[in-house]
Amino acid sequence: MKEKIKLALAQISTKRENKKENLQKIEKFTIKAKEQAADLVIFPELSLTGYVVRDQIYELAETIPGPSTKRIEALATKTGMHIIFGMPELSEKTKATIFNTAVFVGPKGVIGKYRKMYLPTHSVFEEKRYFRPGYQTAAFDTKLGKIGLCICYDLFFPEVCRLTRLKGTELIVAISASPAIRRSYFEILTAARALENTVFLAYVNLVGVEDGLQFWGGSRLVSPTGDVLAKAKNDEEAFVTCEVDYSDIRPVETFIPTLRDLRPELFDELKKHAELF
Amino acid sequence: MLALKYLPTTIEKQGWDAQLKLTPSVLKLDLSEVEKRIRRFIKEYVENAGADGIVLGLSGGIDSNTVAALSSLSIGGDRVLGLMLPEKETHNSKDIDDAKFVAAKFGLKTQICDITPVLESFYKAIPIFDQADKLCKGNIKARTRMIYLYYYANKLNRIVCGSSDKSETMMGYFTKWGDAAADISPIMDLYKTQVRKLAEHLGIPPELASKPSTPALWPNQLAEIELGIKYETLDLILYGLERFMTTEEIAQQLSVEKALIEEVKSRWLATEHKRRMPLAAKIEYRTVGADFRLPRHTY
Repeated sequence: MKEKIKLALAQISTKRENKKENLQKIEKFTIKAKEQAADLVIFPELSLTGYVVRDQIYELAETIPGPSTKRIEALATKTGMHIIFGMPELSEKTKATIFNTAVFVGPKGVIGKYRKMYLPTHSVFEEKRYFRPGYQTAAFDTKLGKIGLCICYDLFFPEVCRLTRLKGTELIVAISASPAIRRSYFEILTAARALENTVFLAYVNLVGVEDGLQFWGGSRLVSPTGDVLAKAKNDEEAFVTCEVDYSDIRPVETFIPTLRDLRPELFDELKKHAELF
Repeated sequence: MLALKYLPTTIEKQGWDAQLKLTPSVLKLDLSEVEKRIRRFIKEYVENAGADGIVLGLSGGIDSNTVAALSSLSIGGDRVLGLMLPEKETHNSKDIDDAKFVAAKFGLKTQICDITPVLESFYKAIPIFDQADKLCKGNIKARTRMIYLYYYANKLNRIVCGSSDKSETMMGYFTKWGDAAADISPIMDLYKTQVRKLAEHLGIPPELASKPSTPALWPNQLAEIELGIKYETLDLILYGLERFMTTEEIAQQLSVEKALIEEVKSRWLATEHKRRMPLAAKIEYRTVGADFRLPRHTY
Protein backbone atom coordinates (compact mmCIF):
# COMPACT_ATOMS: atom_id res chain seq x y z
CA MET A 1 0.00 0.00 0.00
CA LYS A 2 1.19 3.47 -0.84
CA GLU A 3 1.92 5.83 2.04
CA LYS A 4 1.15 8.85 -0.09
CA ILE A 5 -1.38 9.10 -2.87
CA LYS A 6 -2.29 11.86 -5.26
CA LEU A 7 -5.94 12.72 -5.79
CA ALA A 8 -7.58 14.60 -8.62
CA LEU A 9 -10.83 16.35 -7.68
CA ALA A 10 -12.74 16.58 -10.96
CA GLN A 11 -15.43 19.15 -10.23
CA ILE A 12 -17.49 18.89 -13.40
CA SER A 13 -20.85 20.07 -14.66
CA THR A 14 -22.89 17.51 -16.56
CA LYS A 15 -25.05 17.47 -19.62
CA ARG A 16 -28.26 16.21 -18.08
CA GLU A 17 -29.55 12.85 -19.36
CA ASN A 18 -26.65 12.63 -21.78
CA LYS A 19 -24.53 9.73 -20.58
CA LYS A 20 -22.48 9.72 -23.75
CA GLU A 21 -21.25 13.28 -23.27
CA ASN A 22 -20.75 12.82 -19.55
CA LEU A 23 -18.70 9.68 -20.13
CA GLN A 24 -16.58 11.60 -22.62
CA LYS A 25 -16.00 14.27 -19.97
CA ILE A 26 -15.10 11.63 -17.39
CA GLU A 27 -12.61 10.19 -19.89
CA LYS A 28 -11.12 13.59 -20.62
CA PHE A 29 -10.60 14.41 -16.96
CA THR A 30 -9.28 10.93 -16.17
CA ILE A 31 -6.64 11.29 -18.86
CA LYS A 32 -5.78 14.72 -17.47
CA ALA A 33 -5.48 13.20 -14.00
CA LYS A 34 -3.18 10.54 -15.38
CA GLU A 35 -1.03 13.17 -17.07
CA GLN A 36 -0.68 14.94 -13.73
CA ALA A 37 0.40 11.71 -12.06
CA ALA A 38 -2.72 11.34 -9.93
CA ASP A 39 -3.62 7.91 -8.55
CA LEU A 40 -7.33 8.48 -8.04
CA VAL A 41 -9.74 10.78 -9.86
CA ILE A 42 -13.08 11.61 -8.25
CA PHE A 43 -16.26 12.86 -9.94
CA PRO A 44 -19.46 14.23 -8.32
CA GLU A 45 -22.70 12.51 -7.32
CA LEU A 46 -24.73 11.28 -10.31
CA SER A 47 -22.04 12.62 -12.62
CA LEU A 48 -23.02 10.03 -15.24
CA THR A 49 -26.48 11.53 -15.75
CA GLY A 50 -26.76 14.89 -14.00
CA TYR A 51 -28.67 15.38 -10.76
CA VAL A 52 -32.02 16.96 -11.69
CA VAL A 53 -33.34 14.31 -14.07
CA ARG A 54 -36.56 13.51 -12.19
CA ASP A 55 -38.65 10.77 -13.92
CA GLN A 56 -35.97 10.28 -16.56
CA ILE A 57 -34.02 8.41 -13.91
CA TYR A 58 -36.10 5.33 -14.74
CA GLU A 59 -34.65 5.27 -18.24
CA LEU A 60 -31.15 6.34 -17.25
CA ALA A 61 -30.44 3.87 -14.45
CA GLU A 62 -28.11 0.99 -15.27
CA THR A 63 -27.03 -2.15 -13.53
CA ILE A 64 -23.52 -2.62 -12.20
CA PRO A 65 -21.88 -4.12 -14.15
CA GLY A 66 -23.53 -2.43 -17.10
CA PRO A 67 -22.58 -0.50 -20.23
CA SER A 68 -21.35 2.60 -18.40
CA THR A 69 -19.33 0.81 -15.72
CA LYS A 70 -17.81 -1.39 -18.44
CA ARG A 71 -16.68 1.72 -20.24
CA ILE A 72 -15.22 3.22 -17.06
CA GLU A 73 -13.49 -0.10 -16.33
CA ALA A 74 -11.89 -0.01 -19.77
CA LEU A 75 -10.80 3.56 -19.11
CA ALA A 76 -9.29 2.60 -15.74
CA THR A 77 -7.47 -0.34 -17.30
CA LYS A 78 -6.16 1.73 -20.16
CA THR A 79 -4.93 4.57 -17.95
CA GLY A 80 -4.02 2.56 -14.86
CA MET A 81 -6.16 5.00 -12.88
CA HIS A 82 -8.56 4.55 -9.99
CA ILE A 83 -11.88 6.33 -10.63
CA ILE A 84 -14.83 7.18 -8.38
CA PHE A 85 -18.04 8.53 -9.93
CA GLY A 86 -21.77 8.63 -9.25
CA MET A 87 -24.63 7.02 -11.16
CA PRO A 88 -28.21 5.81 -10.78
CA GLU A 89 -27.89 2.07 -10.25
CA LEU A 90 -30.62 -0.33 -11.31
CA SER A 91 -30.79 -3.33 -9.02
CA GLU A 92 -29.28 -6.35 -10.76
CA LYS A 93 -31.62 -8.63 -8.80
CA THR A 94 -34.99 -6.90 -9.03
CA LYS A 95 -34.38 -4.97 -12.25
CA ALA A 96 -36.87 -2.52 -10.80
CA THR A 97 -35.38 -0.62 -7.89
CA ILE A 98 -32.87 2.21 -8.25
CA PHE A 99 -30.09 3.37 -5.94
CA ASN A 100 -28.03 6.55 -5.85
CA THR A 101 -24.63 4.92 -6.07
CA ALA A 102 -20.95 5.81 -5.94
CA VAL A 103 -18.84 3.40 -7.99
CA PHE A 104 -15.17 2.74 -7.32
CA VAL A 105 -13.25 1.38 -10.29
CA GLY A 106 -9.59 0.38 -10.46
CA PRO A 107 -7.32 -0.82 -13.25
CA LYS A 108 -8.53 -4.38 -12.67
CA GLY A 109 -12.22 -3.53 -12.71
CA VAL A 110 -14.94 -2.50 -10.26
CA ILE A 111 -13.54 -2.46 -6.73
CA GLY A 112 -16.85 -1.78 -5.08
CA LYS A 113 -19.84 0.46 -4.81
CA TYR A 114 -21.69 2.41 -2.16
CA ARG A 115 -25.43 3.04 -2.18
CA LYS A 116 -26.43 6.36 -0.59
CA MET A 117 -28.00 5.70 2.80
CA TYR A 118 -29.60 9.06 3.51
CA LEU A 119 -31.81 10.28 0.70
CA PRO A 120 -32.88 13.93 1.07
CA THR A 121 -36.58 14.38 0.44
CA HIS A 122 -37.40 17.90 1.51
CA SER A 123 -37.13 21.41 0.08
CA VAL A 124 -35.94 20.98 -3.53
CA PHE A 125 -34.90 17.35 -3.03
CA GLU A 126 -37.06 14.37 -3.96
CA GLU A 127 -34.66 11.43 -3.76
CA LYS A 128 -36.87 9.05 -1.79
CA ARG A 129 -39.39 9.28 -4.57
CA TYR A 130 -36.90 7.59 -6.87
CA PHE A 131 -34.27 5.75 -4.88
CA ARG A 132 -34.14 2.95 -2.38
CA PRO A 133 -31.61 3.72 0.35
CA GLY A 134 -28.50 1.64 0.82
CA TYR A 135 -27.99 -0.36 4.00
CA GLN A 136 -24.24 -0.72 4.16
CA THR A 137 -21.28 1.55 4.62
CA ALA A 138 -18.36 1.05 2.29
CA ALA A 139 -14.66 0.60 3.09
CA PHE A 140 -12.43 -0.92 0.45
CA ASP A 141 -8.90 -2.27 0.76
CA THR A 142 -7.06 -1.06 -2.29
CA LYS A 143 -3.54 -0.46 -3.49
CA LEU A 144 -4.20 3.18 -2.64
CA GLY A 145 -5.07 2.46 0.97
CA LYS A 146 -8.35 1.77 2.72
CA ILE A 147 -10.87 4.05 1.11
CA GLY A 148 -14.49 4.59 2.14
CA LEU A 149 -17.35 6.21 0.28
CA CYS A 150 -20.33 8.34 1.18
CA ILE A 151 -22.65 10.65 -0.72
CA CYS A 152 -23.71 14.23 -0.01
CA TYR A 153 -26.56 14.21 2.56
CA ASP A 154 -24.89 11.26 4.34
CA LEU A 155 -22.47 13.86 5.71
CA PHE A 156 -25.25 15.26 7.92
CA PHE A 157 -25.34 11.94 9.78
CA PRO A 158 -22.07 11.33 11.63
CA GLU A 159 -22.83 7.62 11.94
CA VAL A 160 -22.00 6.98 8.28
CA CYS A 161 -18.49 8.41 8.38
CA ARG A 162 -17.89 7.03 11.87
CA LEU A 163 -18.76 3.51 10.84
CA THR A 164 -16.74 3.84 7.66
CA ARG A 165 -13.77 5.00 9.70
CA LEU A 166 -14.15 2.22 12.27
CA LYS A 167 -13.91 -0.27 9.43
CA GLY A 168 -10.39 1.06 8.92
CA THR A 169 -10.89 3.72 6.31
CA GLU A 170 -8.17 6.34 6.15
CA LEU A 171 -9.62 8.33 3.30
CA ILE A 172 -13.34 9.01 3.01
CA VAL A 173 -14.49 10.11 -0.42
CA ALA A 174 -17.74 12.09 -0.32
CA ILE A 175 -19.28 12.80 -3.69
CA SER A 176 -21.99 15.42 -3.76
CA ALA A 177 -24.59 17.47 -5.63
CA SER A 178 -25.07 20.33 -3.20
CA PRO A 179 -26.91 23.52 -4.20
CA ALA A 180 -25.43 26.91 -3.38
CA ILE A 181 -27.89 27.79 -0.63
CA ARG A 182 -26.50 24.91 1.42
CA ARG A 183 -22.84 25.78 0.93
CA SER A 184 -22.02 26.72 4.50
CA TYR A 185 -23.45 23.45 5.84
CA PHE A 186 -21.05 21.42 3.73
CA GLU A 187 -18.12 23.62 4.58
CA ILE A 188 -18.79 22.85 8.23
CA LEU A 189 -19.72 19.19 7.83
CA THR A 190 -16.74 18.17 5.73
CA ALA A 191 -14.37 19.62 8.33
CA ALA A 192 -16.33 18.09 11.21
CA ARG A 193 -16.50 14.57 9.74
CA ALA A 194 -12.75 14.59 9.06
CA LEU A 195 -11.82 15.96 12.46
CA GLU A 196 -14.11 13.84 14.61
CA ASN A 197 -12.82 10.70 12.88
CA THR A 198 -9.21 11.78 12.37
CA VAL A 199 -9.46 10.85 8.74
CA PHE A 200 -8.80 12.43 5.35
CA LEU A 201 -11.96 13.47 3.58
CA ALA A 202 -12.13 14.30 -0.12
CA TYR A 203 -15.32 16.14 -1.06
CA VAL A 204 -16.20 16.51 -4.75
CA ASN A 205 -19.28 18.54 -5.59
CA LEU A 206 -21.15 19.16 -8.81
CA VAL A 207 -21.19 22.57 -10.52
CA GLY A 208 -23.52 24.11 -13.04
CA VAL A 209 -27.19 25.03 -13.08
CA GLU A 210 -29.74 22.25 -13.45
CA ASP A 211 -33.38 23.24 -13.72
CA GLY A 212 -32.59 26.52 -11.95
CA LEU A 213 -30.74 24.76 -9.13
CA GLN A 214 -27.20 26.13 -8.79
CA PHE A 215 -24.55 23.68 -7.63
CA TRP A 216 -21.66 25.44 -5.96
CA GLY A 217 -18.62 23.22 -6.42
CA GLY A 218 -16.08 24.08 -3.74
CA SER A 219 -14.59 20.57 -3.80
CA ARG A 220 -11.83 20.04 -1.26
CA LEU A 221 -9.45 17.75 0.50
CA VAL A 222 -9.77 18.04 4.28
CA SER A 223 -7.04 16.87 6.64
CA PRO A 224 -7.62 14.74 9.75
CA THR A 225 -7.50 18.01 11.74
CA GLY A 226 -10.28 19.51 9.64
CA ASP A 227 -8.03 21.83 7.68
CA VAL A 228 -8.68 22.42 4.01
CA LEU A 229 -5.56 21.19 2.22
CA ALA A 230 -6.77 21.92 -1.30
CA LYS A 231 -9.85 23.55 -2.66
CA ALA A 232 -11.48 23.96 -6.05
CA LYS A 233 -13.13 27.25 -6.97
CA ASN A 234 -16.79 27.82 -6.25
CA ASP A 235 -19.37 27.88 -9.05
CA GLU A 236 -17.20 26.79 -11.96
CA GLU A 237 -15.73 23.63 -13.40
CA ALA A 238 -12.38 22.91 -11.82
CA PHE A 239 -9.71 20.28 -11.63
CA VAL A 240 -7.48 20.20 -8.56
CA THR A 241 -4.80 17.72 -7.61
CA CYS A 242 -3.69 17.20 -4.03
CA GLU A 243 -1.80 14.74 -1.90
CA VAL A 244 -2.94 12.48 0.91
CA ASP A 245 -0.13 11.48 3.25
CA TYR A 246 -1.49 8.68 5.41
CA SER A 247 1.36 9.10 7.88
CA ASP A 248 -0.33 12.33 9.01
CA ILE A 249 -3.18 10.42 10.64
CA ARG A 250 -1.32 8.85 13.52
CA PRO A 251 0.15 12.02 15.00
CA VAL A 252 -3.26 13.66 14.78
CA GLU A 253 -4.91 10.78 16.60
CA THR A 254 -2.26 11.25 19.27
CA PHE A 255 -3.08 14.95 19.56
CA ILE A 256 -6.90 14.62 19.28
CA PRO A 257 -7.65 11.01 20.22
CA THR A 258 -11.26 10.93 19.09
CA LEU A 259 -11.16 7.24 18.24
CA ARG A 260 -9.38 6.26 21.46
CA ASP A 261 -12.05 8.06 23.45
CA LEU A 262 -15.06 6.52 21.73
CA ARG A 263 -17.70 5.25 24.19
CA PRO A 264 -19.47 2.22 22.72
CA GLU A 265 -22.07 2.10 25.46
CA LEU A 266 -23.44 5.43 24.23
CA PHE A 267 -24.34 3.81 20.95
CA ASP A 268 -26.73 1.46 22.73
CA GLU A 269 -28.35 4.47 24.35
CA LEU A 270 -28.38 6.24 21.02
CA LYS A 271 -30.13 3.33 19.36
CA LYS A 272 -32.75 3.17 22.08
CA HIS A 273 -33.54 6.86 21.89
CA ALA A 274 -33.39 6.99 18.10
CA GLU A 275 -36.22 4.48 18.05
CA LEU A 276 -38.30 6.38 20.57
CA PHE A 277 -38.11 10.11 19.97
CA MET B 1 -43.16 27.51 16.30
CA LEU B 2 -41.37 26.16 13.27
CA ALA B 3 -39.22 29.03 12.16
CA LEU B 4 -35.87 28.91 10.47
CA LYS B 5 -33.90 31.83 11.74
CA TYR B 6 -31.83 32.34 8.64
CA LEU B 7 -30.65 30.61 5.54
CA PRO B 8 -26.96 30.36 4.87
CA THR B 9 -25.11 32.19 2.10
CA THR B 10 -27.83 34.56 0.92
CA ILE B 11 -29.19 35.86 4.20
CA GLU B 12 -26.87 37.85 6.40
CA LYS B 13 -26.37 36.20 9.74
CA GLN B 14 -28.38 37.86 12.49
CA GLY B 15 -27.18 35.99 15.54
CA TRP B 16 -29.36 33.44 17.23
CA ASP B 17 -32.39 34.19 19.37
CA ALA B 18 -34.66 31.68 20.96
CA GLN B 19 -37.55 33.04 18.93
CA LEU B 20 -37.70 34.48 15.44
CA LYS B 21 -38.18 38.24 15.73
CA LEU B 22 -40.06 39.82 12.89
CA THR B 23 -38.00 42.94 12.48
CA PRO B 24 -36.91 44.44 9.14
CA SER B 25 -33.47 42.93 9.69
CA VAL B 26 -34.80 39.43 8.93
CA LEU B 27 -35.29 40.55 5.33
CA LYS B 28 -31.72 41.74 5.02
CA LEU B 29 -29.83 39.92 2.27
CA ASP B 30 -26.24 39.47 1.27
CA LEU B 31 -26.95 41.53 -1.85
CA SER B 32 -23.68 40.75 -3.63
CA GLU B 33 -24.35 37.03 -3.27
CA VAL B 34 -27.96 37.44 -4.43
CA GLU B 35 -26.83 39.48 -7.43
CA LYS B 36 -24.27 36.83 -8.32
CA ARG B 37 -26.79 34.00 -8.03
CA ILE B 38 -29.43 35.76 -10.15
CA ARG B 39 -26.96 36.81 -12.83
CA ARG B 40 -25.71 33.27 -13.12
CA PHE B 41 -29.30 31.97 -13.22
CA ILE B 42 -30.22 34.29 -16.10
CA LYS B 43 -27.03 33.74 -18.08
CA GLU B 44 -27.16 29.95 -17.84
CA TYR B 45 -30.81 29.83 -18.81
CA VAL B 46 -30.37 32.00 -21.89
CA GLU B 47 -27.31 30.03 -22.98
CA ASN B 48 -28.92 26.64 -22.44
CA ALA B 49 -32.07 27.73 -24.23
CA GLY B 50 -29.97 28.68 -27.25
CA ALA B 51 -31.78 32.02 -27.16
CA ASP B 52 -30.37 35.17 -28.68
CA GLY B 53 -31.40 37.27 -25.72
CA ILE B 54 -34.16 38.52 -23.47
CA VAL B 55 -37.41 40.41 -23.94
CA LEU B 56 -39.00 41.98 -20.89
CA GLY B 57 -41.87 44.31 -20.19
CA LEU B 58 -40.41 47.59 -18.97
CA SER B 59 -43.04 49.58 -17.11
CA GLY B 60 -40.67 51.90 -15.27
CA GLY B 61 -41.69 50.31 -11.97
CA ILE B 62 -39.10 48.99 -9.57
CA ASP B 63 -39.54 45.30 -10.37
CA SER B 64 -39.09 45.59 -14.12
CA ASN B 65 -36.31 48.17 -13.71
CA THR B 66 -34.45 45.75 -11.46
CA VAL B 67 -34.94 42.79 -13.80
CA ALA B 68 -33.83 44.96 -16.74
CA ALA B 69 -30.65 45.88 -14.87
CA LEU B 70 -29.97 42.26 -13.86
CA SER B 71 -30.60 41.03 -17.41
CA SER B 72 -28.18 43.54 -18.88
CA LEU B 73 -25.54 42.74 -16.29
CA SER B 74 -25.99 39.02 -17.00
CA ILE B 75 -25.88 38.85 -20.80
CA GLY B 76 -25.03 42.36 -21.99
CA GLY B 77 -27.51 45.13 -22.74
CA ASP B 78 -27.37 44.70 -26.51
CA ARG B 79 -29.12 41.34 -26.06
CA VAL B 80 -31.86 42.73 -23.80
CA LEU B 81 -34.96 44.41 -25.20
CA GLY B 82 -37.20 46.34 -22.81
CA LEU B 83 -40.66 46.70 -24.33
CA MET B 84 -42.57 49.70 -23.04
CA LEU B 85 -46.26 49.04 -23.55
CA PRO B 86 -48.26 52.07 -22.42
CA GLU B 87 -51.94 52.70 -23.09
CA LYS B 88 -53.87 55.91 -22.87
CA GLU B 89 -55.87 55.37 -19.65
CA THR B 90 -52.84 54.71 -17.46
CA HIS B 91 -50.21 56.56 -19.48
CA ASN B 92 -47.61 58.04 -17.14
CA SER B 93 -44.71 59.93 -18.67
CA LYS B 94 -42.72 59.73 -15.41
CA ASP B 95 -42.75 55.92 -15.64
CA ILE B 96 -41.56 56.08 -19.24
CA ASP B 97 -38.80 58.51 -18.28
CA ASP B 98 -37.74 56.23 -15.42
CA ALA B 99 -37.69 53.22 -17.71
CA LYS B 100 -35.60 55.10 -20.26
CA PHE B 101 -33.22 56.24 -17.54
CA VAL B 102 -32.62 52.66 -16.36
CA ALA B 103 -32.33 51.42 -19.95
CA ALA B 104 -29.68 54.06 -20.69
CA LYS B 105 -27.81 53.38 -17.45
CA PHE B 106 -27.63 49.62 -18.02
CA GLY B 107 -27.32 49.81 -21.80
CA LEU B 108 -30.36 47.82 -22.86
CA LYS B 109 -32.42 48.44 -25.96
CA THR B 110 -35.98 49.68 -25.70
CA GLN B 111 -39.01 49.95 -27.89
CA ILE B 112 -42.30 51.71 -27.19
CA CYS B 113 -45.53 50.22 -28.51
CA ASP B 114 -48.78 51.97 -27.60
CA ILE B 115 -51.24 49.13 -27.04
CA THR B 116 -54.34 51.39 -26.98
CA PRO B 117 -55.62 50.43 -30.45
CA VAL B 118 -55.41 46.74 -29.63
CA LEU B 119 -57.22 47.22 -26.34
CA GLU B 120 -59.98 49.25 -27.97
CA SER B 121 -60.45 46.51 -30.54
CA PHE B 122 -60.92 43.99 -27.73
CA TYR B 123 -63.38 46.27 -25.94
CA LYS B 124 -65.43 46.56 -29.13
CA ALA B 125 -65.12 42.94 -30.18
CA ILE B 126 -66.03 41.11 -26.98
CA PRO B 127 -69.82 40.71 -27.00
CA ILE B 128 -70.21 40.83 -23.23
CA PHE B 129 -67.58 43.53 -22.63
CA ASP B 130 -68.46 45.65 -19.58
CA GLN B 131 -66.73 49.04 -19.43
CA ALA B 132 -67.59 49.40 -15.74
CA ASP B 133 -65.84 46.21 -14.66
CA LYS B 134 -62.37 47.64 -14.27
CA LEU B 135 -60.75 44.42 -13.06
CA CYS B 136 -61.84 42.32 -16.05
CA LYS B 137 -60.91 45.19 -18.32
CA GLY B 138 -57.55 45.69 -16.62
CA ASN B 139 -56.71 42.02 -17.04
CA ILE B 140 -57.09 42.45 -20.81
CA LYS B 141 -54.28 45.01 -20.59
CA ALA B 142 -51.93 42.66 -18.74
CA ARG B 143 -52.72 39.79 -21.12
CA THR B 144 -52.25 42.00 -24.17
CA ARG B 145 -48.82 42.97 -22.90
CA MET B 146 -48.05 39.26 -22.54
CA ILE B 147 -48.98 38.73 -26.22
CA TYR B 148 -46.61 41.49 -27.30
CA LEU B 149 -43.77 40.10 -25.22
CA TYR B 150 -44.18 36.59 -26.56
CA TYR B 151 -44.50 37.82 -30.13
CA TYR B 152 -41.17 39.61 -29.84
CA ALA B 153 -39.59 36.62 -28.09
CA ASN B 154 -40.78 34.20 -30.79
CA LYS B 155 -39.78 36.47 -33.61
CA LEU B 156 -36.34 37.36 -32.22
CA ASN B 157 -35.52 33.93 -30.74
CA ARG B 158 -35.42 35.31 -27.23
CA ILE B 159 -36.90 34.34 -23.91
CA VAL B 160 -39.40 36.37 -21.88
CA CYS B 161 -38.00 37.42 -18.55
CA GLY B 162 -40.66 38.08 -15.91
CA SER B 163 -40.59 40.72 -13.18
CA SER B 164 -42.89 39.20 -10.56
CA ASP B 165 -41.69 39.56 -6.99
CA LYS B 166 -42.46 37.28 -4.06
CA SER B 167 -44.87 39.65 -2.29
CA GLU B 168 -47.26 39.98 -5.22
CA THR B 169 -46.83 36.36 -6.25
CA MET B 170 -47.71 35.05 -2.79
CA MET B 171 -50.66 37.42 -2.58
CA GLY B 172 -51.88 36.41 -6.04
CA TYR B 173 -51.71 40.09 -6.88
CA PHE B 174 -51.19 39.62 -10.60
CA THR B 175 -53.16 38.70 -13.70
CA LYS B 176 -53.31 34.98 -14.39
CA TRP B 177 -51.55 34.35 -17.75
CA GLY B 178 -50.82 38.08 -17.87
CA ASP B 179 -47.96 39.86 -16.14
CA ALA B 180 -46.73 36.68 -14.44
CA ALA B 181 -46.39 34.84 -17.77
CA ALA B 182 -42.69 34.39 -18.51
CA ASP B 183 -40.01 31.81 -19.20
CA ILE B 184 -37.99 32.76 -16.14
CA SER B 185 -38.71 34.89 -13.08
CA PRO B 186 -35.38 35.91 -11.58
CA ILE B 187 -36.74 37.95 -8.64
CA MET B 188 -39.74 35.79 -7.73
CA ASP B 189 -38.04 34.66 -4.53
CA LEU B 190 -37.45 38.22 -3.30
CA TYR B 191 -40.00 40.24 -1.36
CA LYS B 192 -40.80 43.71 -2.66
CA THR B 193 -38.74 45.48 0.02
CA GLN B 194 -35.82 43.18 -0.81
CA VAL B 195 -36.17 44.04 -4.51
CA ARG B 196 -35.89 47.72 -3.60
CA LYS B 197 -32.68 47.06 -1.68
CA LEU B 198 -31.28 44.98 -4.52
CA ALA B 199 -32.18 47.76 -6.98
CA GLU B 200 -30.18 50.28 -4.97
CA HIS B 201 -27.31 47.83 -4.68
CA LEU B 202 -27.29 47.59 -8.49
CA GLY B 203 -27.08 51.36 -8.81
CA ILE B 204 -30.71 52.27 -9.44
CA PRO B 205 -31.31 55.64 -7.73
CA PRO B 206 -33.17 55.48 -4.38
CA GLU B 207 -36.03 57.65 -5.64
CA LEU B 208 -36.77 55.08 -8.33
CA ALA B 209 -36.26 52.17 -5.95
CA SER B 210 -38.76 53.57 -3.45
CA LYS B 211 -41.38 54.59 -6.01
CA PRO B 212 -44.88 53.30 -5.15
CA SER B 213 -45.80 50.19 -7.14
CA THR B 214 -48.74 49.99 -9.51
CA PRO B 215 -49.98 47.21 -11.79
CA ALA B 216 -51.31 50.01 -14.09
CA LEU B 217 -54.54 48.22 -14.88
CA TRP B 218 -56.56 51.41 -14.34
CA PRO B 219 -55.73 55.05 -13.59
CA ASN B 220 -54.22 55.90 -10.19
CA GLN B 221 -54.12 52.25 -9.10
CA LEU B 222 -51.61 51.84 -6.28
CA ALA B 223 -50.61 48.42 -5.00
CA GLU B 224 -50.33 49.33 -1.33
CA ILE B 225 -53.72 51.03 -1.29
CA GLU B 226 -55.37 48.16 -3.08
CA LEU B 227 -53.72 45.55 -0.87
CA GLY B 228 -54.59 47.69 2.13
CA ILE B 229 -51.15 47.36 3.68
CA LYS B 230 -47.65 48.79 3.38
CA TYR B 231 -45.08 46.49 1.80
CA GLU B 232 -42.83 46.89 4.85
CA THR B 233 -45.53 45.19 6.95
CA LEU B 234 -46.80 42.81 4.29
CA ASP B 235 -43.32 41.43 3.66
CA LEU B 236 -42.80 40.70 7.34
CA ILE B 237 -46.18 38.96 7.53
CA LEU B 238 -45.37 36.85 4.47
CA TYR B 239 -41.91 36.12 5.84
CA GLY B 240 -43.52 34.87 9.06
CA LEU B 241 -46.00 32.72 7.14
CA GLU B 242 -43.22 31.35 4.95
CA ARG B 243 -41.48 30.24 8.13
CA PHE B 244 -44.57 28.57 9.55
CA MET B 245 -45.30 31.17 12.23
CA THR B 246 -48.89 31.22 13.44
CA THR B 247 -51.12 34.21 12.71
CA GLU B 248 -51.25 34.88 16.48
CA GLU B 249 -47.46 35.06 16.76
CA ILE B 250 -47.17 37.36 13.76
CA ALA B 251 -49.95 39.65 15.00
CA GLN B 252 -48.39 39.84 18.42
CA GLN B 253 -44.91 40.57 17.19
CA LEU B 254 -45.94 43.18 14.66
CA SER B 255 -48.61 44.70 16.90
CA VAL B 256 -51.26 44.46 14.22
CA GLU B 257 -54.76 43.01 14.24
CA LYS B 258 -54.87 39.24 13.90
CA ALA B 259 -57.68 39.67 11.36
CA LEU B 260 -55.26 41.40 9.00
CA ILE B 261 -52.78 38.54 9.22
CA GLU B 262 -55.56 36.04 8.62
CA GLU B 263 -56.72 37.98 5.60
CA VAL B 264 -53.21 37.92 4.14
CA LYS B 265 -52.89 34.21 4.88
CA SER B 266 -56.22 33.29 3.33
CA ARG B 267 -55.45 35.36 0.26
CA TRP B 268 -52.10 33.61 -0.09
CA LEU B 269 -53.67 30.16 0.20
CA ALA B 270 -56.70 30.97 -1.97
CA THR B 271 -54.58 32.08 -4.92
CA GLU B 272 -52.47 28.92 -5.29
CA HIS B 273 -54.41 28.16 -8.50
CA LYS B 274 -52.76 31.21 -10.08
CA ARG B 275 -49.30 29.85 -9.38
CA ARG B 276 -49.79 26.37 -10.83
CA MET B 277 -50.46 24.54 -14.06
CA PRO B 278 -54.20 23.97 -14.66
CA LEU B 279 -55.55 21.11 -12.57
CA ALA B 280 -55.91 17.91 -14.59
CA ALA B 281 -58.39 15.14 -13.80
CA LYS B 282 -56.28 12.12 -12.84
CA ILE B 283 -57.26 9.27 -15.18
CA GLU B 284 -54.17 7.60 -16.52
CA TYR B 285 -50.79 6.15 -15.58
CA ARG B 286 -48.83 9.42 -15.37
CA THR B 287 -50.58 12.78 -15.35
CA VAL B 288 -49.39 16.22 -16.42
CA GLY B 289 -49.06 18.54 -13.47
CA ALA B 290 -49.68 15.77 -10.94
CA ASP B 291 -47.19 12.92 -11.03
CA PHE B 292 -45.44 13.52 -14.32
CA ARG B 293 -42.14 14.94 -13.10
CA LEU B 294 -39.76 15.80 -15.86
CA PRO B 295 -36.72 18.00 -15.85
CA ARG B 296 -37.14 21.31 -17.60
CA HIS B 297 -35.15 21.20 -20.80
CA THR B 298 -33.74 24.38 -22.11
CA TYR B 299 -31.39 22.87 -24.61
